[in-house]
Amino acid sequence: MTYIVSLFLLGLVLGLVAVASNPAPYFAALGLVVAAGVGCGVLVGYGGSFLSLVLFLIYLGGMLVVFAYSAALAAEPFPESWGDRSVLGYVVVYTVGVMLVAGWFWSGWYETSWVVVDEFKEFSVLRGDTSGVALMYSYGGGMLIVCAWVLLLTLFVVLELTRGLSRGALRAV
Amino acid sequence: MNPYVLTILLSSLGLGTILTFASSHWLLAWMGLEINTLAIIPIMAQQSHPRAIEATTKYFLTQATAAAMILFASTTNAWLVGEWEIHQLSHPLATTTVMLALALKLGLAPVHFWLPEVLQGLELTTGLILSTWQKLAPFALMIQVAPTINSSLLIAMGLLSTLVGGWGGLNQTQLRKILAYSSIAHLGWMVLILQYAPSLTLLSLFLYIIMTSSAFLTLKTNNSLTINTLATSWTKSPTLAALTALVLLSLGGLPPLSGFMPKWLILQELTKQGLPLSATLAAMTALLSLYFYLRLCYAMTLTIYPNTLTATAPWRLNFTLITLPLSIITILALGLLPLTPAVTTLLTL
Amino acid sequence: MLKILIPTLMLFPTIWFSPAKWLWTTSIAQSLVIALASLSWLKWSSETGWSSSNLYLATDPLSTPLLVLTCWLLPLMVLASQNHISPEPLNRQRTYISLLVSLQMFLILAFGATEIIMFYIMFEATLLPTLIIITRWGNQTERLNAGTYFLFYTLAGSLPLLVALLLLQNDSGTLSMFTLQYTQPMHLLTWGNKLWWAACLLAFLVKMPVYGVHLWLPKAHVEAPIAGSMILAAVLLKLGGYGMMRMMVMLDPLTKELAYPFIVLALWGIIMTGSICLRQTDLKSLIAYSSVGHMGLVAGGILIQTPWGFTGAIILMIAHGLASSALFCLANTSYERTHSRTMLLARGMQMILPLMTTWWFVASLANLALPPLPNLMGELMIITSMFNWSHWTLLLTGLGTLITASYSLYLFLMTQRGPLPSHIIALEPTHTREHLLITLHLIPIILLILKPELMWGWCF
Repeated sequence: MTYIVSLFLLGLVLGLVAVASNPAPYFAALGLVVAAGVGCGVLVGYGGSFLSLVLFLIYLGGMLVVFAYSAALAAEPFPESWGDRSVLGYVVVYTVGVMLVAGWFWSGWYETSWVVVDEFKEFSVLRGDTSGVALMYSYGGGMLIVCAWVLLLTLFVVLELTRGLSRGALRAV
Repeated sequence: MNPYVLTILLSSLGLGTILTFASSHWLLAWMGLEINTLAIIPIMAQQSHPRAIEATTKYFLTQATAAAMILFASTTNAWLVGEWEIHQLSHPLATTTVMLALALKLGLAPVHFWLPEVLQGLELTTGLILSTWQKLAPFALMIQVAPTINSSLLIAMGLLSTLVGGWGGLNQTQLRKILAYSSIAHLGWMVLILQYAPSLTLLSLFLYIIMTSSAFLTLKTNNSLTINTLATSWTKSPTLAALTALVLLSLGGLPPLSGFMPKWLILQELTKQGLPLSATLAAMTALLSLYFYLRLCYAMTLTIYPNTLTATAPWRLNFTLITLPLSIITILALGLLPLTPAVTTLLTL
Repeated sequence: MLKILIPTLMLFPTIWFSPAKWLWTTSIAQSLVIALASLSWLKWSSETGWSSSNLYLATDPLSTPLLVLTCWLLPLMVLASQNHISPEPLNRQRTYISLLVSLQMFLILAFGATEIIMFYIMFEATLLPTLIIITRWGNQTERLNAGTYFLFYTLAGSLPLLVALLLLQNDSGTLSMFTLQYTQPMHLLTWGNKLWWAACLLAFLVKMPVYGVHLWLPKAHVEAPIAGSMILAAVLLKLGGYGMMRMMVMLDPLTKELAYPFIVLALWGIIMTGSICLRQTDLKSLIAYSSVGHMGLVAGGILIQTPWGFTGAIILMIAHGLASSALFCLANTSYERTHSRTMLLARGMQMILPLMTTWWFVASLANLALPPLPNLMGELMIITSMFNWSHWTLLLTGLGTLITASYSLYLFLMTQRGPLPSHIIALEPTHTREHLLITLHLIPIILLILKPELMWGWCF
């Protein structure tokens, strides 16, 4: 199990490096998929299976369609992948940076920083992360309403920003 | 822009700030800041001009970075201390990060570079919103977390801001950039006093808002964006031109005008706290700002442009702008100094 | 105090609501009435020195002569500006007179203040109208430069003063002139205290101005319109001397040693500015530099802190205020006719304007301190007390007096005597207004010969 989680963590870092190194949108989306999927795997490894399931379904199922769509709109004739010189520079810099930071904090960081999500799962009826979601609905109802309003607002903002292509608006493509 | 959309955007702009005011939880405060940023972005980009789009993008990037830093810092604090309350921000890593993030949001000195660029790309009314209403929410947070922040960081940032605000404005010919640098300098004064007398921070924030609104509304009325167009503005409205010189000097903080009040009280508080050197430095950097205000006064009022305005239309047409807010706020920007005791009492309630 | 302040405030409605035809007449008349009413300050009733109507405003023998001088100057300024302002649009004329009146308001509040911080604020507040007068109504483009110099020299000097005053308030708990002189003398030993001492005096030394920080003054004088030059020379410079005298009480133990460089600089300034005057071609600039020289003498008299020094300083301030203002008015009459400040271009005026020559003569004599005039009295008292302080100062002060006499003579001879240049063919004759203006300057100087104790300050 430890090996699998370590593998997932390594994958997470590599996925983030893949996005951050600024390749063409296709490949960046691919890196995002890898990072998100592997991140869900990490969560499962630490016991948060409900949240990771939600994340995986909604994020990968819903958002990535949009990502793929936008990436397809931004198709380039010669997309830069991670092998190209400019991107490779970033890849090397980020990887070395991650390794340096990891080396710096090598000893003793993991004792305090990682806690299993649901410690007493043997004694409880509900899973901890599920009950957390229920708690959010019961106590943070007002906040959820605000969140709904923000979603509406975001819709308007995006529409307003991408409207008026002929006038030189901030463009979708 | 569609009036319905505008209504939604403006009400969300208000909602964001009020959420931040009302929240005691970092998450909600962060959400308020984000709503605020989201709501102003279409208003900024409505001109569909490349400069406006550029400004919008820059604004979005800086604000998103700052908000992410706030979120990161509050999560770190919750992780290390176990407390989500805004007042309970206690870990030094978290407080410093939050302070830097708020400084980035406001445009304080080491992280101020976006502000002149962004303001230069905006229309004057949007610029007015940016330099008044958008400052309120970060300041509300800053006043709440101020007691735990390292005081030398605050003083260094404050002094650097007053210095940079004065220095940067010296070489500008674009009015919006000058006003941006003036904003940086004033923010420096507010941050300088943040830990010793938060009510004075509020006072100088309110006075800054009054004075800068007056300046922005004047520029709007005169429709001028550069010093050159300012030079012909006396033909449009001589009285306004005469008063604007005083408003600018009030921004600079010359004594009989109300801009002197915050400076005086801040210097008094700083000397009372045993920081006469910082007080003197801040006072001397105010001279730098005063220089460019004075240059604007020269251009606008104190010299008469050799030729009259070539465009005859503006002063033949009926004046349709509503000038009541401008006149009220100009009076406030000029004559509040004798009311200093009343104002300080109101703000320390 | 209010019986002067409220009529001064009421000048604003007079200016803005009187019909165009009566604008100048009414404003001069009302301000002259105020000036006459202000003479009642000279009648001191109390033996303690202060006569106050409330806690914030009071007069004492030190401030009274300066207050009366301020009130006296306003009608004269309005009278002097009438010729060159009245062709302008009506609103600008009204604005101009309003600025002069606001200047008088601020000056009365500055001289009458009992709280040092209020004095400071009013001291700074006078900058604004003066700046506008110089830069808006000056003639050349260099006026903007002059305005900047004026503002920034003064502010750079006086912002440290503000911090120093606030520190003083922290230490002693009060800034009231009534109580401050009875506080315990402070123990000022550290470097910080010495800097505090310098900050307390620097603003006033810049305002006086003492030699070395005087560069703003000739520029401002040369570029300002006549009213600006008059008020600068007559009253604004005296704010520096007045403030120094007020502050001296608090700075006591340190001044004895720390004042040396400033005294030396002030005395050296007399020689230097006098020498500059001897080679000056610009009429207004000459008068301005002569002001710097006289103010150097005043600064020296104040800095050695003897009763005679103070008395001489205040007498010299009043007398110099009237005399230099008169000289600026005379320079302006010549400027309005020849449109040049260059002395070479307007010589031999005695031939065409003989009565004006008389005024020039009397004013020059007042400037060089001819025996019965109060100018001599002030100079003599300062020189005597300086001599008592150190015998060597006589070299500087004596030489300074000699140079003053020489350049005053040079001024008179260059402008009035000699052949009339051929390009001067059609000069306007002098107006009654101008004669009245000069007379109103010279009468007080001459009358003060008879009753100098009005301006003796504390030591009568």
